[in-house]
Amino acid sequence: MITIALSKGRIFEETLPLLAAAGITPNEDPESSRKLIIGTNRDDVRLIIVRASDVPTYVQYGAADLGVAGKDVLLEHGGAGLYQPLDLEIAKCRLMVAVQNGFDYEGAVKQGARLRVATKYTQCAREHFAAKGVHVDLIKLYGSMELAPLVGLADAIVDLVSTGGTLKANNLVAVEHIREISSRLVVNQAALKLKHDRIQPIIDTFTATVQARQQR
Amino acid sequence: MNEIMRNWILPEYISDVLPCEARLLEGLRRRMLDLFSCYGYEQVIPPLVEYVESLFTQEDKALDLKTFKLVDELTGRQMGLRADITPQVARIDAHILNRKGVARLCYAGSVVNTRPDGTLSSREPRQIGAEIYGCAGLAADVEIIELMRESLSLAGMNNLRLEIGHMGLFLAMAEASGLDGSAREEIFVALQQKDLPSLKASTTGLSAELRQGFLALPNCYGGAEVLKSAREALPALPGVTEALDALDALRAALQVRGIEPCFDLAELRSSYYHTGLVFAAYTPGYANAVARGGRYDSVGEKFGRPRPATGFSLDLRELSHLPFPARRSGILAPAGDEPALVCCIRKLREQGEIVVVDLGVVGDESGCNRRLVKTDGDWKVVAQA
Repeated sequence: MITIALSKGRIFEETLPLLAAAGITPNEDPESSRKLIIGTNRDDVRLIIVRASDVPTYVQYGAADLGVAGKDVLLEHGGAGLYQPLDLEIAKCRLMVAVQNGFDYEGAVKQGARLRVATKYTQCAREHFAAKGVHVDLIKLYGSMELAPLVGLADAIVDLVSTGGTLKANNLVAVEHIREISSRLVVNQAALKLKHDRIQPIIDTFTATVQARQQR
Repeated sequence: MNEIMRNWILPEYISDVLPCEARLLEGLRRRMLDLFSCYGYEQVIPPLVEYVESLFTQEDKALDLKTFKLVDELTGRQMGLRADITPQVARIDAHILNRKGVARLCYAGSVVNTRPDGTLSSREPRQIGAEIYGCAGLAADVEIIELMRESLSLAGMNNLRLEIGHMGLFLAMAEASGLDGSAREEIFVALQQKDLPSLKASTTGLSAELRQGFLALPNCYGGAEVLKSAREALPALPGVTEALDALDALRAALQVRGIEPCFDLAELRSSYYHTGLVFAAYTPGYANAVARGGRYDSVGEKFGRPRPATGFSLDLRELSHLPFPARRSGILAPAGDEPALVCCIRKLREQGEIVVVDLGVVGDESGCNRRLVKTDGDWKVVAQA
């Protein structure tokens, strides 16, 4: 049995065509089904639906053999015990620093004063500001980061931005680009070795499909 | 929860070994040490604490971070609780034993890690392993791999996938690229994670030949065909050719012993101190390798006496998913000072029987299936009523 861990929403939608290329079709749609384990047309392949930030954990512990996880999630997780052989070039966005419109970010950073930063991505934020030589107090939040500067909880936020619509709607502006984010295929190390004959064809098909897309 | 309830809770990833598991672990430990002695290995018992300078080198940041430290109140120097026994055994070989020829040493004991090593691992692994010092030849590696297989076989693990890599490939290519420090570390980490996108990003400044070589490594895994394709894909540096020749020769030697190895040429994971062949054994049902090892020819250097070295080790506690062996049944004997009874109990124990004296406390859990009773003036063993 090959178990693939996916999260609902964008990653699931954009992984479907890759699975289809490998001859794998889910029997149910996780958006309408409440099942957490979803069978496929192949008896030896099943999908499990988990939170995006839990995908690396399931794969690391061998509860899933493969998974699709955003680079943002992998950077926070640290990647221990995982192989991440392929950039799937899906669920693309940018990790950015944003502040309230009118906030003097450049000035705040230059002064050498401490900056209060609200984010879900504490690991990435810590490293980014350390590289800039800026002291920060990190405030860990689990969602709606955009609110933090508006109510005076933080000076800046570090968050994923795809269209910029949410920032705009909340009178925030992106002031710094930290890195491009896209989703990676992650593989449990022991599974790649022990189930090589079944996992390698899936990786090969995914690789070929991603390459064909890029050439288009 | 009140204070008293909390006091006996252990730290995270630290646990007791209870009787069932202890029977399994201790049984395996004894049988593995017996196996090692059949191959001529001598056991050493290094200390739990020693100065940090001898526990790890300055370059070995990973081992440094894994080591609990304390200050020696006698000297004011920093000591560490060992996180790995291998460097201790290397120290013993280099400076204490000072043998000129080959030394075969083995060990078994607890080590302590600041952070758990693998997923769901204990922070107090029970490390057991064997090392050969003083032989740079392939024969030593073959013996160690064979011993690793035999050890796992004692634990009932016969369906093994043995994976072999060679640090020499990375070392030769990193040397040729002139990279050092963080740039080299970045490539090392990307290779360990088979992270091709990061590998592409961190090799942009290299010559086309070297870059292609680094990018090919993560895909060099599988059966014997890997060695053939690696010769085409990797740059023909002397170090690379030497490493591939060693892998070819090792494969041939292992096949004679009924072992068909697999190869993963990006597998550098064993430890930072490895310099040549590295190997790991995987088995279904385990999310991590069950045993690891490799060649670490330069470890003795910091003790002033470089000696070629190869060895393997495993964590006995990682094997505790195995079925626990049943408790051996004993004989329940009455308490008493009658000379014939005392003599009879001693004789039975000399014969290897478990004899448990009934202390008369209600709720006996001694696990006996027989009983010592007096019939016609003689003490006899009868089935438990």
